[in-house]
Parts: sequence; C-alpha cells; structure tokens
Amino acid sequence: MNNDTLLRAEDLVLYFKTRRGLVQAVDHVSFELHKNKAVVILGESGCGKTSMAKAILRLLPRNVGEYRGKILLNGQDVMQLSDEEYRTQIRWVKISMVPQAAMNALNPVIRVGEQVAEPAIIHLKKSKEEALEMAREMFQNVGVPVDFLTRYPFELSGGMRQRVAIAMALITKPDLIVLDEPTSALDLLTQANIMNVLKTIKWETGTSYILITHDIATSSELADEVAVMYAGQIIEVNNAESFFAEPLHPYSQKLMASVPKLYGDEEPDFIPGRPPSLLNPPTGCRFADRCHLRFDKCDEEPPTFIVGGHPVKCWLYEQEASQVIPPVSAGEVS
Amino acid sequence: MNLRQFREITRYPSAIIGLIIIIFLVGLSIYTVIALPYEEAVNKWRGGDRVWQDNPRGVPPTWVNLFRSKKLPESIIFDTATDETIQKQVTPLDENLTDIVYTFQFDYTADEFPQEIILFFTSTFEKKAPYISLLWKTPDGREINIGDFSIERAYTRRISQDDKLAKELGGPPEVMLFADPNSEERIPLKGTYTLEIAGLAFEPESTFNVKSIIYGKVFGLAGTDHLRRDLVLGLLWGTPVALAFGLLAAVITSLLTMFIAATGTWFGGWVDSLIQRITEINMMLPVLPILIMVGVFYSRSLWVILGVVILLGIFSASIKSYRAMFMQEREAGYIQAAKAYGAGDVRIIFRYLVPRIFPVLIPSLVVLIPSYVFLEASLAVLGLGDPIMPTWGKIINDARVNGALLKGQYYWVLEPSFMLMLTGFSFAMLGFALDRIFNPRLRGM
Amino acid sequence: MTVDAQADAVTQARYDTLKRIGKYTIVRFFMLMFAVIIGVYITILVANMGGYVDDILRSEIRERIAIQISLDPQYKELSTEERKELQEKLVALEEKRLGLDKPFIVRSFGYLKNALTLNLGRAQNMTSDSGSRQVKLIILERLPATLLLFGTSFLLNFFVSLFFALMLSRRYGSFWDRVVVALSPTSAAPGWFYGIFLIVIFAAWLGILPYGGMVDAPPPEDPLHYALSVAEHMILPLLALAISQIFLSIYSWRTFFLIYSTEDYVEMAKAKGLSPRAIERRYILRPTLPTIVTNFALAAIAVWFGAIIFETVFNWPGIGRVYFQAIGLFDTAVIVGTTVLYAYLLAATVFLLDIVYAFIDPRVKIG
Repeated sequence: MNNDTLLRAEDLVLYFKTRRGLVQAVDHVSFELHKNKAVVILGESGCGKTSMAKAILRLLPRNVGEYRGKILLNGQDVMQLSDEEYRTQIRWVKISMVPQAAMNALNPVIRVGEQVAEPAIIHLKKSKEEALEMAREMFQNVGVPVDFLTRYPFELSGGMRQRVAIAMALITKPDLIVLDEPTSALDLLTQANIMNVLKTIKWETGTSYILITHDIATSSELADEVAVMYAGQIIEVNNAESFFAEPLHPYSQKLMASVPKLYGDEEPDFIPGRPPSLLNPPTGCRFADRCHLRFDKCDEEPPTFIVGGHPVKCWLYEQEASQVIPPVSAGEVS
Repeated sequence: MNLRQFREITRYPSAIIGLIIIIFLVGLSIYTVIALPYEEAVNKWRGGDRVWQDNPRGVPPTWVNLFRSKKLPESIIFDTATDETIQKQVTPLDENLTDIVYTFQFDYTADEFPQEIILFFTSTFEKKAPYISLLWKTPDGREINIGDFSIERAYTRRISQDDKLAKELGGPPEVMLFADPNSEERIPLKGTYTLEIAGLAFEPESTFNVKSIIYGKVFGLAGTDHLRRDLVLGLLWGTPVALAFGLLAAVITSLLTMFIAATGTWFGGWVDSLIQRITEINMMLPVLPILIMVGVFYSRSLWVILGVVILLGIFSASIKSYRAMFMQEREAGYIQAAKAYGAGDVRIIFRYLVPRIFPVLIPSLVVLIPSYVFLEASLAVLGLGDPIMPTWGKIINDARVNGALLKGQYYWVLEPSFMLMLTGFSFAMLGFALDRIFNPRLRGM
Repeated sequence: MTVDAQADAVTQARYDTLKRIGKYTIVRFFMLMFAVIIGVYITILVANMGGYVDDILRSEIRERIAIQISLDPQYKELSTEERKELQEKLVALEEKRLGLDKPFIVRSFGYLKNALTLNLGRAQNMTSDSGSRQVKLIILERLPATLLLFGTSFLLNFFVSLFFALMLSRRYGSFWDRVVVALSPTSAAPGWFYGIFLIVIFAAWLGILPYGGMVDAPPPEDPLHYALSVAEHMILPLLALAISQIFLSIYSWRTFFLIYSTEDYVEMAKAKGLSPRAIERRYILRPTLPTIVTNFALAAIAVWFGAIIFETVFNWPGIGRVYFQAIGLFDTAVIVGTTVLYAYLLAATVFLLDIVYAFIDPRVKIG
C-alpha cells in the first residue's frame, strides 16, 4: 500500500440474517483503489456487489448477521468509527454515492434543488442560499438546466434524475463516489451521456470511483481497474486494459465472450446454469459447477494466486503464481 | 394466495387465539340453531309469564356466589304435579270430604333472604273448590299459619304480597318467615324448614296440585332479566344473529365494492367518473342517522337493516384503494394479452382482475365483520333492534332502559357486552394477523 | 442565472403553484356541493319515507284535534254532525299549517332549498333550552358541547398517536411495539362500548366519577368550579374514545412509518449523512403526512356519527343526543336539520382535507 491508495478493503464481511438462514453476501472481500482511479466491480445479479457498496458505506439493514473487516480510507480504518462519527466525518464528506435507479432515491415531496443542497448545509455548514448556489453550479456541471432547481422529482425524466443524483453526490467534493449501476435503468443515448459526465468530472476534479455494474460495455469506458465478483467473493482483479484483452479466470473469460461483437458472425457465448445461492455457498470453488475448465482440484476452495501482480482465485494458475494467499477456511464463519 | 401463506397464521399467537374463539362462536351458533330452533326460541323469548314464571326477576347468575362471602339463595321449587317424592298424605274424612296434605321440607343455607314466595295452585272440582291451609315451620320450632283461603281451578297465591300477613309478621313475608328472631340484624335463620299445605277437598274426585316457589336471588348460567327470562337464551341466540349479520354484511359489501371498483377501473371513462361521483355522494350520506331513520320510520326488521347497510356500504371509500390496485393490474402483461386474444370485459374482470386482488381483500373483510356486529348492536342499544329476535344489543338496551347500572345489576350489561367483545376482538385479531400476511407492503416485515 | 433571476424563478414557481391550487380548490368545491345537495335530498326522502311520516302526522293531528274538541267546553253543545264538520275544518287548517296539503314531492324540493340555506324551520315537538322552537337554535345550542368533547378527543388522539407511532417505528419488534400490535384489535369496539364498561367500573362500582352528563346538577356558579365540573365529566368519555381509537391509530401510523422508512430515498438520506432526527422529519413524516391526515380525518368522521349513541350512553348534551331524542319524538324537522348539519360538516371536513392535501403533496399541486 502506498500514498496513492485511497481506499483499501481487507477481508470485508457482510452477512444477513434471514428466516431461511445466513446469507453470505460479502464473503471476505479485499481490494484496493488508487487516487483518481475508477475501479469497476463486475458481476451478475445476486453476486453481492450491491451489498458490497452498502458494506463500504455502512448502510446496513435491520437484519445484519455479521459485519467486519477493515476499510482503510487514507490509512484510517473507518470501521472503528462510531455511527455518529461515521455520519459526520465520512458520509458525503469523504465518500458519497449515486444509487441505482435514482427514481426512488429522491424524496418525492421536496424540490430537487433543496435535496442536492442538503449535504452542503449539513456537512459544509453552508447557509441555504450558499448551498443552493453550489447546487446550481453542480447542475451546470452535470448538464441539468438550472431552472430545474425548483422542480420536484416526478417532473424530471429518468436521465435527468440520474444527473441530479450525480450532482448531489458531487456537491461536497468527496474523495470517493460509489456508483451502483448508475446507467442500467436508462436508454443507450443517456447512458453514453452520463458516462461522459462521469469521465469529465473524474478528469476535472480528481475524484475516485467505485463503479458497480454488470454492464461490461459501458464500464469499459470508465474503468481503470476491474474487479470481478462472483458469489460474494472477488475472483479476479486486473487493470482494465489487460483484463479486457485477456481475462484470466474462466468466469471472466465467459463474461467477455458473452458480449456481442459489432463485427463478425460469432454468436455470443453464454454460461449455463445459475450462480449459487448465498445462503449455503458450496464448498470448493464456487464457480466449479458452471466452469468449462473444471478439474478435480476444484472441489477444494482455491486460494488467491497473485499472477503478474494481480489476484486470481482459480486453481488453474497455481503454477504461475508468485504469491499465494490462502482462502478463509469455512470454520471462520461464526 | 397459497397454502404456505395460510400456514403463516400459526406464527401469530393473536391469530390463533382469534381463530379458536371464532370456532367456538360458530360452534355455539350451530348448537343453538339446532338445540333451540328459531320458532321455539322466539316464542319462548316473547312468551311472558307463562314461560318464565318459575324464574326470579332480575337476578345474577348462580356462579356469582363463588365470589361472595354472603351467599345468595337459589330458588327452591316444589311441584306436586311432577315430583312423586313429595310427601302426600290423603285422609278421607267421610264420603265427600278428603284431607290432602303436602309437606315440603327443605334446608335453607343462604345468607340472604329470598326474592319472593309464590304458590301456584291447580285443582279439579265440579262445584266446590278445595280450601287450603298453609303452615310454616321454622328450624327453631316455631309454627306460623300463613294463610287460609279457597282456591280456583288455577290460582296464584303471592305470599310476598299478602299485606295482612306482612302486618302480622312485622315485615315482608319472604323476609320475616326466614328471619332469625334472636338476631338484632335481619339475617336468615339457617336450617330445615317445612311448609305444610293442607287442603280440604269437598268432592270425592276433587283434588289439587301446588307448585311452590321460593324465589332465589341467583339463577342459572347467566341470570335473568326484568321479565324473568333466562338470559342464556338471549345470549345463545344472539350469537348466530350477530355472526350472520356481520358475515353477510361484510362479505356482500366487500365483494360488491371490489367488483364495482374493478368495473370502474376497467371501463374507465364515464363509468369510472360516475362511480367516483356516487362514491363521493355516498360519503356525504350519514350512515347511522339514515339507519336510525329507516328503523324508526319504516321497519326494524333485521333483513331490512341488512339491506340498507349493504346498500350504503358498497360505494364506500375503500373503492379508492381498490381502484389504485386495479389501475396497476390493468397494465399487467397478462391482462393485455387477454384483451388481445379477444376476451370479453366481463370475463377479464371476473377471471383475471378480481382474483388477483382477492387476497388483499381478505384481511379487510375480516376486520370489517366486527364493525357490522357492533353496528347492529348499536341500533339495538338505541332501541331500534329487530323487534322479534333476541340479540345482544337488545339485552343491553333492556338493561339500560330498566336502569340496570343504577340498580347494581351489572351482569345484565356485562354479559352481552362480553359476547360482543369476544366476537369483535376475535375477528379483529384474526384480521390484523391476516393483514400482516397478505398485505404485500407489509410482507417484508 | 443571477441570484435575483433565481429568486424570481422561485417566486414564479410559488405563484404558479397557488394558481393551480386555486383552480383545484374551486373544482373540488363545486363537486362537493353537488354531492352535498344530492346527499341531503336523499336524506330528506328517507326522513319522510316518501310520505309515510306524513301519514303518521296526519293521523296524529286527527287524534289530537278530536281530543281537543271533546275536551273544549265551548264545543259541548254541538251535535255529532257539527262536531265532525268542525273537526274536518280544524284538521284541514292544521294540515295547511304544517304544509301537508301539498304532495310530498313538491314539498321535498322546498325542504331541500331550506335545508341547504340552513333555514331549518321549526321543530314540531322539541324546544331549545331558551324556549325557542327554531331548529337552528336547538342545534346550535348543542353544538358546542359536541365540539368540545370530540374536538378535544381528536386533538389528544392525533398528537399522542403521532408521538408514540414515531417512537415505536424506531423500536420495531421491541416489547412495547408488540404490546401495541397485540392491543390494536381493541379498536374493533366503538367508543360507547368501552363507555359502558367504564361507567360500570368508575361510576357504579367505585363511585368516583359521574355517571354522565356534562356538569353537576345543579351547575356550580363560578366559572372555575364550572370548568372543573365539566372537566370531571369529560374524563370517562375521553377515556372511552381514547381506548377505542388509540391502539389502532398508533399501530397504523407506526406501520406506515415502517413501510415508508424502507423507501429508497430514506436510505439515500441516511447515506447522505442526515441525522436520524432530520431523516424522520423530512423523509418519513413529510411524505407520509397526506395519508395520515386523510386516514385520521376519515376516522374522525366515523366518530362523529358514533356520537349519536355515544352521547346517549353518557347523557352528554350534544347534537348526538338531540338527534336521538328527535327520533324518539318523530320530530322530522329536527332530524332533517341535524342530518343536514352532519352533511355539511362532513363536506367541510373533506374539503379541508383536500386543500391540506393539495398543499402537502406536490404531486397534487402540479399534476
């Protein structure tokens, strides 16, 4: 870890208590994010990526089973902070969020300008007028017409609402923004526009992103690094260029193969079966059931191998590994 | 709506309690309808003295004695016509005269005096009626003559209202005949009493029977009202009436409301607007006042009231919430598909729209039942209840009109209220639990 | 855009909002008036049972006049023929006085006009305390008592429920939460039901509170003692009303709060770092307010109607009890008058609700 590292998650765990058992949504996840970089967390629905966003932001539901690990923000372990400290020091000051489907993320009975201004009033101690002025500026940055400040959320289109959400995430100029599927509810044109806005902001303000998505195509525009998540675990991390060119893990390979190509007659590939339930994850490699390269060693959970400086959680890379990080044994689940 | 959801009910103790009580009430209703058929029950209820004469007037149930230090007496009844074991001595004096003596012997153990003493005589004779002499023997050996009189074929002797006797004894007969002469306060003397009824029959075939009743101050399981009626009859029969009224009103109203909402939502346009306007007008109509007016001016029959209640209830405000739900459903894929393949409007409404929303209907239906039960009771308490059937509200009304609370006759009010409460709460508990199960918005909890 | 221009934009927005609310208000007003008119007319029809009551009145008049004639000494000399003639004449006169000579349908519109303009006429049998026969006075005399009782109850229940519901929604699943949930079915029984129990316990058995009525008889002279006496008489009715409403109110609102607190924008507010208090106020309470206000107002209306029995049970001198007495005395004028009043109060409540709704819920404001 060096001074360049903004956020480092170590062995992050988030389990939920449900009537049917313990859902192991985030299972000992570790990764690193550098300043002014965007890391994309890639994965199917149900792999736990939204839960990971919540784990980072400490947005815990009532039925939390386990929540532990280390989250080092600029060297400080924010997991140690009390809820009140976290609220005043971290939330929207250091880390903000753009949620999935901003339709529901905005209070329907308060004008959008006020909602965007709220964090500035609370965290930056600005007066209402000053905060609204800042909101106006943000609107301009994200491309929302300024007279929308006095409008209510239901008066805006989906794309506009998402931009408002981005403006809201920016107003306190946080170090890190976590974006959860920021464009999946939008049409293609708007998607492209939003991506541009994000790129511009990153370039202009030096903000870092954690972008959580299942959409490989749009994420490739913004990504500096890619971390693939499957069944609650991170199974591969690589810089974007290397990843898109040559994914290592069989799952990643299948993912990339499933993207339709503009030219050529090849049919896109697909992965048969479904991801395992997070209630009772299988022992051994969690992807083994669907893996086309499965062999006998896969019955045992693979450790994380460091290959070429990047982690891969697959037995296929045992030989090449320069470093081995053993998996967390099942006994650790309390 | 599936079996698993119904099994969810077992997770809610309040629902189970409610369900048990409801089953008990339904069982009670079935038993009542079979064991005490309607015609018979109504005749009895309106029967008057002839039917109820053996009961004391306005007394609490026998089990109140469990809570009292000073025990109240139960009625002591001797009936020579039905009871063979009563000592009867027949002594012919000559060819025409016969001396017939009945001896009633009983133990008196209560701490309070009886309510009244009445003797009912029946006799057979051609020309001359028998002549009766009454002798009262107390446990401490005193013998008191309490009447000499001639009787008729049917004759009632109210000892308690015998003013002459009262003067002689120095107080109300039912008290003085039992009073302990040695005590300063008026307390009854406990022990074995004997009543000798000696009758002189003047004809060979002439005879008489007598039923003597020393009226107690407690009676039965539920006590009696001002007309001596056993309240058990009213309480029992109130059950099926209340349940039937509540169920019918709730079910019919809810179903019709749902269909109206579905129709309005589906057809849209002027149909929808019309339904909305009617709903608004209906909101203006004061339900209870109208029911009262119907009851006072037109008819108090339960069926009429039921009809009016339903009529006023089907355009209720719940149409709005159903409407919102149907609006959502209307755009659903399968509905559009049905429309595409040419399904008729009626078919779509009945087979697709309504069944989908039905589960949400159930909890509100169940919770609605007690409102109607109490509505019927309300009308009865006001004196506008069905004039024929005995219902719980009717009993409360009788109690109120006869000043039950002022006279300390709490049981009279509390017993029907308890039944009402049981009914209301059981359905409400069940309904609330069902709401937590079936309401999609609450299901996450 | 400059700050000034922005301020102008906000002012313009507010002006637009007011204009739209205004239009909306007028539309609702007319729709409600329409509903009131029809509702009142139906009530009049019902009150007269399409002429049935007229028959009752007619026979009553006949009987009354017959007795009057037979008792009056100056008519003693008349023959049966003359007596009959006189009876018919007096009956016709009386019927004319009460307007019974015209067919009902015609009269019904007259009644409607009068009812709507609150010209409620004269009572047939009842009189007000001041001795007047005017229905309006009879009702107005009694209105304050009802408003006092039910108004107090309304305010009490509203704020107590709000407070506890908010508190409970923060402690989902706790002991008190479960107590309230378990007790919510108690609202199945109406206020008068609990009233009876309370009277049995506190008035009949313990004897510490009065059986009913609004003040001691004779009423105390000085205002302080009068007020205290009224307060003492209000305890049991308020308690009865509270028991029959409060648990369900708290339960429903707490459920609402819980449901609304699972909304995405609430989580968003939490993520933004708003304090729990601020979240409760702006993100849970504000959006729920329209629904809560509507629910509460509708419940209040239901209680309004229950007042008829409630006031009778407690012998409270309000319009509910007047209504009940009027029915007993077949006094159509008072019955109709009170019903019209109820209808107006209902309409006013709904109307107010709509306006409040328009202000709180922006989707109504604009959409």
